[in-house]
Amino acid sequence: MSNAPATTPRPRRFYTEPRWLEVGEIRVAYRRRGTGEPTLFLHGAGGTRMWLPFYERMAESVDFIAPEHPGFGETELPEWLRGFDDLVLHYRDFADALGLGRFHVVGFSLGGWIAAELAVFYPERLASMTLIAPAGLHLPGKPLVDLFAMPPERVAGLLFNGQEAQYLDYLPDGTNLDEIVQAYGEFTTFARLAWSPSHDPKLPRRLPAVRVPTLVVGAEDDRIVPNEHVDRYAELLPDARVVRIPGTAHGLIMQEPDLAAAEIVAFIEGNAR
Amino acid sequence: MNKLLFYTINFMPYPFVPPPEELESAWVTIPNSHYDPRVGHRLYTDYLEEEIATERFGYDGVLVNEHHQNAYGNMPSPNLIASYIIARTSRIPVGIIGNALNLYHHPLRVAEEVAMLDVISGGRIISGLVRGTGMEYFSYGENPTWAREKFWEAHDLVIKAWTEPGPFEWEGEHFHLRYVNPWPRPLQQPHPPIWVPGVGSLETVEEAAKRRYTFMQVYAPRWLLVKALQLYRQIAEEKYGYTPSPYQLGSAIPTYVAETDEQAHREARPHLTWLFRNGLQHPEYFAFPPGAMSKKSFRNFLGTIIEKNIKPLYRLTYEDLIEQEYVIVGSPDTVIEQLERFQEQSGAGVIVGAGGQWGAMPSWMAMKNMQIMAEEVMPHFRPPDGKPIWAREEPKVPTTLSEQAATVKPALAPRIRLDEDTYIDPRIGHLPEQVEAARARAAAPAGGE
Repeated sequence: MSNAPATTPRPRRFYTEPRWLEVGEIRVAYRRRGTGEPTLFLHGAGGTRMWLPFYERMAESVDFIAPEHPGFGETELPEWLRGFDDLVLHYRDFADALGLGRFHVVGFSLGGWIAAELAVFYPERLASMTLIAPAGLHLPGKPLVDLFAMPPERVAGLLFNGQEAQYLDYLPDGTNLDEIVQAYGEFTTFARLAWSPSHDPKLPRRLPAVRVPTLVVGAEDDRIVPNEHVDRYAELLPDARVVRIPGTAHGLIMQEPDLAAAEIVAFIEGNAR
Repeated sequence: MNKLLFYTINFMPYPFVPPPEELESAWVTIPNSHYDPRVGHRLYTDYLEEEIATERFGYDGVLVNEHHQNAYGNMPSPNLIASYIIARTSRIPVGIIGNALNLYHHPLRVAEEVAMLDVISGGRIISGLVRGTGMEYFSYGENPTWAREKFWEAHDLVIKAWTEPGPFEWEGEHFHLRYVNPWPRPLQQPHPPIWVPGVGSLETVEEAAKRRYTFMQVYAPRWLLVKALQLYRQIAEEKYGYTPSPYQLGSAIPTYVAETDEQAHREARPHLTWLFRNGLQHPEYFAFPPGAMSKKSFRNFLGTIIEKNIKPLYRLTYEDLIEQEYVIVGSPDTVIEQLERFQEQSGAGVIVGAGGQWGAMPSWMAMKNMQIMAEEVMPHFRPPDGKPIWAREEPKVPTTLSEQAATVKPALAPRIRLDEDTYIDPRIGHLPEQVEAARARAAAPAGGE
């Protein structure tokens, strides 16, 4: 029986040492580079412990801040994390701890859902919001894929529409016990938040009151969050427009970091504080 | 005393489904268009007759269980099945190895239903308390990440509801109740015996040993069964300072007995193959949803699987099942020899799955398995009279009205009010002379003449 202490494995490429910030009772791992408009990036249900090329492109133009959610990457899972309201308050406190005042938020996938919840409760804190392939809504006949009901290799296939062999550096090593346990832990947090329901049924009633300028970034063919969800967000939010990155799957920030960053930077600079 | 207690468990499979090669899973997503209720009616009828026959065969008890949305076992409500069995039997204990507390909207419902069954059956209920498989967290949309804490909170609530006078208040993490006050209360005091099934989690063994519950290890290679039961005994002795009774140590070992070894294998092979390879077919992602185990337990679990090269149940061949002793198949002599060896290794006093229905057996074959078990195996583990354990004791409540009237006096009589200060027992309220007498008593000055 393996009794090795649980270690947080380091991804093969793109790993960087995090910085640490005390937020309430927990230590948050985060990465930050660049100057300009303060931009909080909220990651999806994976892809942690890395400084990705997309981040680097963003950091060339803005002050890019990428924390790891509680229960992801190297940030511990606190007992109190039970729902999105806990995350909203956590990110309010995180922004306060960094003295961000008003800032821009960019959320990818699960992070897009968190960003939308943050905007519902603290719209006055947000200079702009960018939702990239965001989860959080339910569309009849167009459900989110149930990522819990498939093996990791199928998740990878859906993330890159079958081209995952080109993106192995972004994916956990499925042959390494530490990596498998790390992914299990991160999916535990994901399940805690989104097992059932896998969306927030209150968002459709709440989003129309959110007057934050919003850019919704969609893939060309998203097989995890169906394309229609991007349009639905733009319909519900009073000040939103859609941009799609051609030739991409759900993992668009890994596939087209330059194109995605260029669109988002232009939008953020157009809504400078 | 009986050296070994024999229980059957009938999963009530629905075997008329495609083979595993043509399905994602025999659980959760197997289309229920494969379920023909007319076939289901026939199956339930057969299975229930097999359950009821256990009393005459002389089993020590009959177990039912709970699973959802699958072809392996069609008892989503074990209490309904238990209710049917207690109505058709008189003395045999019925073990409910549900109820999956996390899958109930409210654990009080479990406290109430099990207490009802216990009262109706005259104290014949064994109550399992279980969490359910990973598959059931998919089927019920139940969050696996707090399954363990929610289970133990529900457990504590059920036990308190059974044992402490109500009404009382319950303020937990998952349940908030101003008034816990279930009617009826269970007949067996302080509560029905509790059994906890386990699949290998150390935490479950520990929790069962701590509370002196009967632990029942489910489907495992023999070395793992023995290890789990040894661990139970060790925890009981070293941590909680008592020596567990053999009746606290159980295992589910599918058993098939026939006239000869050769005949037994011939008959058992196709059905045990269906049970494991078809009925239990499910992908790992259904069995182990994230958060059902802690990260540490998951690491240990995965490490053991890799190190000991443990195959998923549905990949076991018939030869694996026999060689690794997941099952026992053979003549009466072979089965006796194997059960004795298992007892020596583990100290277990409870065997579950001793004969009965496995897989897609025709009813006559399940009955044959039970009859040979009853007549040629069980007596070997019993005193010369061959009696099951329940035949060694009196029923827990009187079974005739004359005994009831002679021995059970209610603490209070029912009363209805006639006038101010005048009450009468409604059972004599239709008799004018009794009504008059009651009024006369009320009119008489207090303290008499």
